Amino acid sequence: MKTDSNHQNGKLTGIEMLEYYEKGPWPSHVNEMKKTAYPLEVYASGLETRASPWFGGSAKVRYVYVGFIARRSKDGKNTELHFRVFQPSGQIYRTETLRKLLDFSDKYGLGLLQVMGQTGGLIISIDPEKADEAVDALRSLGTDIGDTGDTFRDFASCIGPALCEYSLFNTLEARDYYLSYPPIYEKISNQLFPFKVKLKFSGCPMDCSRAVHRADFGFIGTWEGAPEVDQALLKDKDKSGQISMEDLARNCPSSSINVSVSGDLSIDPEKCEKSMNCIKRAFPAIKPGKTRKIAFMAGGNIKGRFGPKMAKPVALLDDYKQAEVFITSVIDRWEENYPHKDRIGDMLAKEGFSRVVEALKETLPVAPNGKPSGQTRIIDSAVLSDEERDLYATWSRKIMDEYRGA
Amino acid sequence: MPDLSERMKKKLPIPYTDFLPVQIGDNVGKWVDRRFHGHGIVEHISSSGDHIFTVKVGSPANVRFSTDTLRKFNKIEDEYGIGSLRFTRSGNVELIADSLDKAEKLKDEVEKIGFYVGGWGNTLWSISSCTAYLTCTTAVIDSPSLTKVLYDNFYRYFTGEEELPTKLKISVGGCPTSCGGLVADLVLVGHYGDAPSYDPERIGLCLPRKAEALDVAVPEIVNVCPVGAIDAFKKDDNTVGINIKREKCIACGRCKDVCDHIIFDPDKSGVAIMVGGKSSNTGSGPELARVLIPWVPVTLPAYGEIVAVVRKIIDIWKKNASDGERLGDYVRRIGLSNLQEAMHIPVTKWNRTGFGKSTFGIRQFQERGA
Repeated sequence: MKTDSNHQNGKLTGIEMLEYYEKGPWPSHVNEMKKTAYPLEVYASGLETRASPWFGGSAKVRYVYVGFIARRSKDGKNTELHFRVFQPSGQIYRTETLRKLLDFSDKYGLGLLQVMGQTGGLIISIDPEKADEAVDALRSLGTDIGDTGDTFRDFASCIGPALCEYSLFNTLEARDYYLSYPPIYEKISNQLFPFKVKLKFSGCPMDCSRAVHRADFGFIGTWEGAPEVDQALLKDKDKSGQISMEDLARNCPSSSINVSVSGDLSIDPEKCEKSMNCIKRAFPAIKPGKTRKIAFMAGGNIKGRFGPKMAKPVALLDDYKQAEVFITSVIDRWEENYPHKDRIGDMLAKEGFSRVVEALKETLPVAPNGKPSGQTRIIDSAVLSDEERDLYATWSRKIMDEYRGA
Repeated sequence: MPDLSERMKKKLPIPYTDFLPVQIGDNVGKWVDRRFHGHGIVEHISSSGDHIFTVKVGSPANVRFSTDTLRKFNKIEDEYGIGSLRFTRSGNVELIADSLDKAEKLKDEVEKIGFYVGGWGNTLWSISSCTAYLTCTTAVIDSPSLTKVLYDNFYRYFTGEEELPTKLKISVGGCPTSCGGLVADLVLVGHYGDAPSYDPERIGLCLPRKAEALDVAVPEIVNVCPVGAIDAFKKDDNTVGINIKREKCIACGRCKDVCDHIIFDPDKSGVAIMVGGKSSNTGSGPELARVLIPWVPVTLPAYGEIVAVVRKIIDIWKKNASDGERLGDYVRRIGLSNLQEAMHIPVTKWNRTGFGKSTFGIRQFQERGA
């Protein structure tokens, strides 16, 4: 570490920065890692040099081709191995189950977990020497490693009917179903694809699993027509001051709500956009409608050739299983014809979403009926000149001074 | 000796019902109403007459927990809860009880060991952080330390001690891949701020050894560039060289993903601050965040400039939001350029893309009127 030279520049050393992040009101990630065998000196060197201190590493576990990530520190002194572990749908654990995973982490790893990776997996840091043995130990606990590389990633679902009033289909069962669906399950242990594939399941239009953007195939519970209104209960809520019908009408994003002279609230089934505004406020006096559907979408992603994308609409399903053949057909087409690092959303962009859906519509038991919106390309990086950087630096320091003065 | 090839058959933690505690397993699909008790406890009411209370606990940055801390949560849950906890998609931890008294006990006990309870209603629900310098090879900035600093500054919005117009979600990504996605209200993305160069000694490791290979296939480092800013060419000694065209480059870092020997200058890196993302169909519906400010300096350890700009955005939203309006809905209502003007933000081609009229998510199944 370039400790001395940085001291001369008046900057904090990496170790001093770790000390800085141990303080402050919010629970510190540094303090958590201090209680484990994680090589904190590597993190310190990263903070000091302002660059990731890790290179890709390598590890070999017999008959395991997905599920771990190996790293070596740039100074060559440390290695790290992550196991990405499948979580049960909804990520609920009984304490006895979690305790076994913690014992596993202490015995085979560093005593450190990342409880919710961005893909959804549970990440356990493992001692590379014990990796081979650890795989079998984990399997004996009823779960496994997976979820890395160019394969199916850990599918995600919201908490669904296990603990949510709004859930319009069983997202947990749907995730279990697709993880074990034979054409998917057969490929889950190998990296055969151009890039990763994610499925996400959200029980209602609030989309807690972010199926609309972060999944190649997304399922979102919805309904047809207007929400169901219990006029008597709603009037009680209005009278007791819990809600105001006038406010519900005024705040409806699609202006679909009307309150009659007699005080009945009605919702226009044609106009309602399922924004959940009234339902969230007046539940259970206003509830999702009875004709339930599952909006099935494709092509969302963050990382892909053409940048971040919103999912495009394929069809309104009556059952989550109705998408299974379509999904595997799209994947087959992509697997055969597309280069490394092209996501399914990139294929849909290159070939045209509607053309792909048209070609594969026989695989769907219901007629595709989405009207895909156009999307601007979003670039979240920038190539700036020194002058432009100065401009933004000066501007942001002015904001800083504004608060300092206050 | 067990048959090792069995490892090719993944052991999946299914069905989910095997993992549920009895009190929840008995009530799947039966929840009929909910009530909030403060900002950190939600009561779920089942048609069976059962009541379940969940207590939301904020996590350290990048949801890194020692087994020691998780054992403490487990112990608290065993003593006062129903013996079950869960990790939310946003990385919070929920402890679960069957009465309000016990839920409040859970809250007291986790607060005693230094954690905060909150994150429901008109609060900061979560700040989601990628791993950056803790694991990732492509990270430009260290999102966990930035996340820690943001929580230190804004945790009163998590506990509800100070209220927001409605929920706020923040996502911090260490590189333009932005692993947390662009559907948070506020998205902070670390990026290089300039086109890359490369290590001339080692770049060959990422290229074919002989120039003949160029006749057969385009090298991956060239192919992966989404804007065609990298060319490969035959050098005099019949090896392969590359040329990076700065004027085309968007500094997305895809080249760095496939080659460790692409170099970006850390002195030029910064954070883009994006606003207006949302996955939920509430308000004006789901949308990807847009760049409000393309570059704010990264000053370790306190990230003073970034914290000030985030504070300013929250303050403007607090002052101007109409009834329960998400930050994204507010920005889309007034327009990105109007917010930039109100904040006197310099505009370059990197923060000119505002919100279009397109609607996303399930609204794409709606019949479109005139």
